[in-house]
This record gives sequence, C-alpha cells and structure tokens, in this order.
Amino acid sequence: MFEQIASSVFTTAFLASVLRITTPILFAALASVISERAGVANIGLEGIMMLGALFGVIFSAWTQSAFVGVVGAGLVGVLIGLMMGWFSLKLGTDIILSGIAVNMLGAGGTIFLLFMFTGLRGNSAALDSRMIPALEMHFLEGIPVLGAFARQSILTYVALLCVFLVFVLLYKTPLGLNIRAVGENPHAADSVGMSVRKVKYIALGISGFLAGLGGAYMSMFYSRGFTTDMVAGRGFIALAAQAMGRGEPLGAMLSSLLFGAADALSHHMQGTALPSQLVATIPYVITIIGLSLYAARTIGKVKRARKARAQTATNA
Amino acid sequence: MINSDRLLELKFSVLRGLAAIFVSISVAAILIFIISDQPGNALFQLLLSPLGNERQMWNILERMIPFLFTGLAVCVMFSAKQFNLAAEGSVMLGAFMAAMTAIYVPMPPIIHPIVSILVGVITCGLLMLIPALLHTKLGANVLVSTLMLNFIIQFCVQFVLVNIVADRSQGALMTYQFLETAGIPAIRFNTSYGLVLGLAMVVVVSLFIYRTRWGYAIRMVGLNKEFSAYSGLKVAGIIILCQVIGGMLAGMGGAVEMLGFFDRFRWRLLPGYGWNGITIAILAKNNPALVPFAAFFLAYLSRGAVNMTIHADVPFEMMDIIQAVIFLFFAAEKFLAGYRQKMVVKKAKRELGEDLPAKKGG
Repeated sequence: MFEQIASSVFTTAFLASVLRITTPILFAALASVISERAGVANIGLEGIMMLGALFGVIFSAWTQSAFVGVVGAGLVGVLIGLMMGWFSLKLGTDIILSGIAVNMLGAGGTIFLLFMFTGLRGNSAALDSRMIPALEMHFLEGIPVLGAFARQSILTYVALLCVFLVFVLLYKTPLGLNIRAVGENPHAADSVGMSVRKVKYIALGISGFLAGLGGAYMSMFYSRGFTTDMVAGRGFIALAAQAMGRGEPLGAMLSSLLFGAADALSHHMQGTALPSQLVATIPYVITIIGLSLYAARTIGKVKRARKARAQTATNA
Repeated sequence: MINSDRLLELKFSVLRGLAAIFVSISVAAILIFIISDQPGNALFQLLLSPLGNERQMWNILERMIPFLFTGLAVCVMFSAKQFNLAAEGSVMLGAFMAAMTAIYVPMPPIIHPIVSILVGVITCGLLMLIPALLHTKLGANVLVSTLMLNFIIQFCVQFVLVNIVADRSQGALMTYQFLETAGIPAIRFNTSYGLVLGLAMVVVVSLFIYRTRWGYAIRMVGLNKEFSAYSGLKVAGIIILCQVIGGMLAGMGGAVEMLGFFDRFRWRLLPGYGWNGITIAILAKNNPALVPFAAFFLAYLSRGAVNMTIHADVPFEMMDIIQAVIFLFFAAEKFLAGYRQKMVVKKAKRELGEDLPAKKGG
C-alpha cells in the first residue's frame, strides 16, 4: 500500500494537484498575513471565502464574464473586511467575535442569499455561471516538476504573484511601513501622527479582497459552481499557515504548500485501503502539529535569548 | 451615588441590548420583504407563531436544552478570555460517546442515562486537555487548534459510525437503537428532563463562577492575565481548568440532547450548537445566570424560523443572518456610545444643579 502511495506522490500529476489545492489556501493565508501584520486577527476569512465563492458565481452568471465574477468576489470581500473594521474599530466589537459573525454569514447566510438572488437551494448547479480559464502551456507537459504548471488556473499564477506583491507592499512601500508600524506598536504609530484606524481599515480591505479571490477560485475553478460548505475550513487552515509562516508572505506560501500537499495526499489515498474519513483528517492533524511545533520553537528561542541575556548580565 | 451610577449603566446596557435586537429584527424584516411573496405571513410566523399553542411553547423549551449547556460552556471559557471554539466538536463527541454507552452497555434504568451522560462529559473534558495543554505548554493558538479539532472529531465520529457501529438494516446511516433503559424521559411532548438538568447546571455554574475562588480566578485571568500571574495565581492551571469545564459542559449538552430527543445516533456533520453557544454567551455577557434568558430568546427565534420555513416561503438559514447581526451589535461595546455619553452628562448636570443651590444655602 505504501509503495502505491509513494509511487503516486512523486509524480508531476501529484505536484499539479498540490498547486491546485494550495491556491485558495494561499490567497487566504496572504489575506491573513496582511491583517495580522496590521495587528488585526481576521478569523472571518472562512466566511469571506464562502461569500466570495457565492458572489463570484452570481456575478459571472449575470454578466457572463468570469473576470467580472472574480473581481466582484474580491470586492464583496473588501466590503466584508471594511464591515468587520467598522464594527471592531468604530463600534468596539471584539475582532474575533466579528470574525465569527462573518463566518456565520458565510455558513447559513450564503444559502439564504443564494435563494434570495437565484431561487436555488443549496447549490448553484442550475445557474449558467462562468469558469476561470486555465492557462494552457502544452510545451511544459512531460517536463518533470515544471509539467505541474501546464494546466493551472490563471488565478494560481495570480496567487503566486500576490506572494511577491504582498512582500513588496509590506517591505518596500510607505503603506507597508505604516501597516507594520501599526501592527507592532499602535501607540507609537499614533504618536507620530499615523491614523491607526485608517491603516487597519486598509489592511482589512486588502485582506478581504484576497480572501474573496480565494473564494472565487473555489466556485469558479476548483469546483463547478457554488455548494453549501464548499470552503470546508480552508479559511481556518490559512490562519494556521500564516501563524506557521511567521506572518511573512514567503513563509505563509511554504506552509500553505505543506497543507496543500497534506490535502492532496488525502485525496490520493482515497482509493487505497485506508478509510476515507480518517484520511480526510490529515490536513487538520498536520495543521495542529505544525502549529504546535512552530509555537514550541518560538518559545524555545525566547527562552534561549533570555538565558543568554541573563548570562551576559551576570558576566558583566 | 455608586448605586445610581450602576443603575444608569444597567439602564443603558438593557437599552443597548434592545436596540441590538431591534436592529437585527429590522434586518430580518427587510430581507423578508425582499424575498417573500407573503411578507406579512412570514413575519408573523417568525415573530409570533411560537406563541401559537402549548405544543409550540414546549418546543421552544426543547430547543433551549442544548443551548443552555453550550451557552454555559462558552461563558466559562470566554470568562477567562480563552477563545476555545471546540464546544462544537465536544457536543458531537459527547453525544456520540453517550450513544455508544446507551447502545452497548446494558444497565438498570435511571443509572443508565446518568452513566451515559458521564461518559460523554468525561471524554470531552479529556478532549479539551489537548488544545489547553498545547497552548499552555507549547504556546499553540487555541483558536486555530480548536477549529481544527472540530473537523478532526467530525471525521473520526463519521469513521466509527460508517465502518463499525452502523445499523446495516437501515437505509440511511445511523446506529442501532439505544437500549430502552438509556433514554431521558420526557416532561411533556418531546421536551425531556434534560431541561431540568440544564437549569440546574445554570445554578451550579453561576455559583462556581461568582462564589468560588476558582471562579474568581477564572474571571481575574480574563480581566488581566499578567496581573493575575503577578499576584500569584497559577494562570496556566486556570486556563486548563476553564477549558476542561467548558468541554465537560458542552459534552453534557450533546449527551443530554442525544438521549433526550433521539433514539439512534445519526449526526454525520457537526450539529452547530457550539456556535449557538457563542451567540448565547455574548447575549448573556458571559454571565451564566443570564444564559437561560439568552437561550430562550434564541430558541424562540429558531422555532419562529422553522415555522416561517414551513408555512411561508423563507429559508430557515435566515436565522444565521439574524444571529450574526445580533452578535455584531450586542458585542459592540461602543454601540450607542454617543447616547450613553449624553445620558451621563445629563445626569451629571442634574446632580450639579441639585448640589449648587444646596451649597449656596449653606
């Protein structure tokens, strides 16, 4: 059985499925990076992805354009992000609680909204929505590793590009400097005249946009159309990916790939003798283990640093 | 003086709560007018029909039962500011463990349901050690680890259900029937004595939180973790304690719901009561004594939403939107802050006005 798994894992097809599965997690993980760096824990990503998935389908069906669908999904994400900002920054709702509320909207609210806009219950199969096209690069087929890129969605490339863009935004632009300053010490940022609230609003808006794109990918490429609970915890896994990636865009990408690989592995093992329900737990178990290992390492570092400091203090 | 300040504060928080409920009902009304061909009927079904007859009223009480337990569970954990979201998974696991005991371990009546519930309670208490210890020993984020834990529980229960304990003679996926000794008897209609247990737990948890040193420690950790540690509290122990208690309460809720309402275990997916528990804890402002009122309110709305789905043309899921809106406004500490300011200023002016002439006279 293990040879069977091993032989299916080290193939271009497996790598391709890892990329396909990682894309929505990567979008959400980058969304989490931006908000986290501005000092806002956005746990509503799951709900924003659900709403993005729904509105991507609805907009694309109305306009018959996949592009409008994707951008519309992103804008819905921006709106939700700003709404969370309004509640937590203006009205004082705990940001974690407003995130949970957004997740409720994403769970039951999307079913209601789907019915309200289209009269359909539970899934959008009867809706003539557009799909995001794949970028066909036949010349890559047959080449090991690179072959995995031969038939990926355009949004997968956008996601990879976003890793770079988020890095540039955070480290090479004035806005990024503001975001990091606000996240690290809002009082200091405030004292030099930055509008902490404005920066947090912007971060939540960008975060919502990225999560919305992740949602659109789910309903417009990964699956054909919207179904109930289709995001299935990817928004939460993205939070873990961000935490494991230490809030860095590149780190978030690497941990997203790890979770993507775990999920792809569970798909590949569906046909084997292992029971499918247990295999389905793999990504979640790996998330908990990864999170704990990362957190433990950080604590260890802090302790060592403290010890070293104490040592130098006694020496002096 | 202090009393009148408190009264003002109380008056204001009641007012704010009513305003939040009013906003959410208005949102519901707007949605109903958009979606429904018979908005009057739909609104009637949602808001008034649960008062229709005795059966409806008992149904509200029946729906309250799991809400009571998960509401209490979340209250205890949120009191210490531990955003543990595994109440959801605990309900499912507690229900499943109780169901297993109810099917496979014969026991005399009365003892059987008690033992089955305890099995659920203990399993979920132990379960919560996982996120609690990962947090206190390794520093892993509780929020994320408990969200993951919910999915793991769901799939593991599915695994056992599908592969080991399913009753193959049935068309749908379910276990064998519970032994007759295991059920919790009904007070009336489908409302089981679990309601009494739930209300008893409200009293127990309220006393625990407000009248014991452990409860005091939990609230202090919630107010200021660093200060609690500085003043000698064992913060890690308290963080573990409150999550274990939360897990036990949620597990009890699942077990009671399973034995009181069902005769076979047939949940494939997480039941959602854990999330309701968070709404209830927010409505009750983490005060266990207020949980029954919040649970009643939510149960009333959910019965109304069911009636609305059956007798009018609005889907039940509107409930989630109403819940989210209540949630956002209720937890909004600065909602109507401007109005509160006015109230305080007005009162201060009045008091000054009363004081000044008195001083002149003196």
